[in-house]
Amino acid sequence: MRFSFARWRATAAPWALLRTFVIFVYAFSLGPILITAAVSFNGSNRSFFPPRGFSFRWWERALAPEWLDPLLFSLKLGALAAVASTLLALPLAFALHRYRFRGQQALLALTLGPLMMPTLVTGVGLLQLFQSLGWREYLGFTGLLIGHVVICMPFAVRTVSVSLHTVPPNVELAAASLGATGFATLRHVVFPLIKTGVIAGAVFAFIHSFTDVNLSIFLARPGQTPVTVKILGFLEFGFAPTLAAVSVITLLLPLVLVAVVERISGLGDFIYGEGRRG
Amino acid sequence: MADAALELIGLEKHYGGAAAVAGIDLTVNEGEFVTLLGPSGCGKTTTLALVAGFLPPTAGEILLKGKSVADLPAFRRDIGVVFQDYALFPHMTAAENVAFGLKMRRVPSSETAKRVNEALDLMQLAGLGERRPLQMSGGQRQRVALARALVINPTVLLLDEPLSNLDLKLREEMRVEIVAIQRRLGITTVFVTHDQGEALVMSDRIAVMNAGRIEQIGDPAEIYERPATRFVAEFIGRTNLLSGLVTAERGVRTSGGLHLPVPVPDTLVTGSAVHVAVRPERTQLARQNPGQGLVLAAKVRQVFYLGATLEFRLDLPGGERGVVEAPNNASAARFEPGDDVWLVASFDDCRVLPARSASSG
Repeated sequence: MRFSFARWRATAAPWALLRTFVIFVYAFSLGPILITAAVSFNGSNRSFFPPRGFSFRWWERALAPEWLDPLLFSLKLGALAAVASTLLALPLAFALHRYRFRGQQALLALTLGPLMMPTLVTGVGLLQLFQSLGWREYLGFTGLLIGHVVICMPFAVRTVSVSLHTVPPNVELAAASLGATGFATLRHVVFPLIKTGVIAGAVFAFIHSFTDVNLSIFLARPGQTPVTVKILGFLEFGFAPTLAAVSVITLLLPLVLVAVVERISGLGDFIYGEGRRG
Repeated sequence: MADAALELIGLEKHYGGAAAVAGIDLTVNEGEFVTLLGPSGCGKTTTLALVAGFLPPTAGEILLKGKSVADLPAFRRDIGVVFQDYALFPHMTAAENVAFGLKMRRVPSSETAKRVNEALDLMQLAGLGERRPLQMSGGQRQRVALARALVINPTVLLLDEPLSNLDLKLREEMRVEIVAIQRRLGITTVFVTHDQGEALVMSDRIAVMNAGRIEQIGDPAEIYERPATRFVAEFIGRTNLLSGLVTAERGVRTSGGLHLPVPVPDTLVTGSAVHVAVRPERTQLARQNPGQGLVLAAKVRQVFYLGATLEFRLDLPGGERGVVEAPNNASAARFEPGDDVWLVASFDDCRVLPARSASSG
């Protein structure tokens, strides 16, 4: 068969284009990670790529208290922020989904607002609020927790709302007709159906908190600093291979978390079948 | 009445100014199968939701075995409901779905297991208890929904268009099966549908609803053969309608000038505008004027071959239209479009209906 440009353009070309595009996307999203990982094993004192020599030196430093403490601080902060914002998001998402009331749109805008606003602005605002209220002593962990709950709420509310929409319309009425009280319906019917979404919301919230730097730089205090802020501070002295090792750790932790939850809630997804993936 | 399982008295439901249910009185006896039949928006599903306790009534009373339940929440009413979309719990197996009502009633687990198995057997679902709803066919889901509603031995079973999501063949099988189970268990049932065929086949009595009210209540033959209003006559089956006025001799003079000595109900005074209604299968076509009964000159407009029957669409004088349905047997007369014929019916098969629907409660 003779080569036909028209046929090539119609059938093969789109795929070739798509393939190239996908390769670019992966190259730019995975490339930096792989380079950082490679750099962390440098034998040299500077961040060379490709690495010169090989050593675990930088990893030993990354796992010393100087870096381990802010890392654990970030983990604790992220976990608490995730739990708190999810617990607040549950009733809020219910109210927004289920009822029509005055000020509903305003409440929704207020909840989702931080998503639209630069986190930096939220951070500056919160700092000024704390100062004008005379709450300077709450800067550090408490202040950070409040700030992180504010910026994590939109994620939790959105995912809980989305999963509430997947609850089939009449199942709550069916439960009531079978003798289930409102609480029993919530416990045996609604919650099992939205569980995956709630967990996903909490994971999103955790990752958002764990990776935040814009808000945290305003609310941290010495000794109560998330790892991201610590990394930012350290960058003033240049990109040492230690940072590469720390970066790999801060990168892997959320990934591991997502993988674990995906295994658990992925099972849940299987239970609810195709319909819930919609 | 001692054997009334469910009574609705002056039941109303308003949304803003609009009445979805505009005053319903209905008594359903113990073990009876009553159908609420009407077009969409007639208030039948709202009525069901009021009985189930999903909506609070605006006015009126709901009595279950003589006790008022209007103020009881749904979960304390002891009413089984089967929804149009079945509303099965997707995260539970069929058996867990059926067991749910018993679990809520804190029935011991050994008894629960026994009753769940009985219910699954009754609905021919034996062996499917471990399946999840999404792994089941529409017909099987329907059966799970019925088993789930029946296993709690409710005072009343409510069925909200449960057959409308099934294909035709399955729907016709389920009609028969639901009625068989209902008779066997003797369970009082209220069935909501817009399908007149379902209503006629399944019901002990049919309540035809229109615009939030019941137009007529009666057994299927009564509803079909003696419709009380034009709405009922036209909603259930098809009908030929001739408009006219009640004469002093208690007959009807049609707008075409014919005088028909048909039986006129006493409620219709002389001079009232009425319709004379006659069912297509109670009419015949003739080439010669038989000279007795209802006889109308007509011209054949269309002929439809329906297999078991032949349907003739007719043009009547004065611009009115007629339908004649004739059995398709060996002696069936052949008529072609354009033929001049006579539409013939016995006066006994004619019903005189008020031209304007009486706003009966």
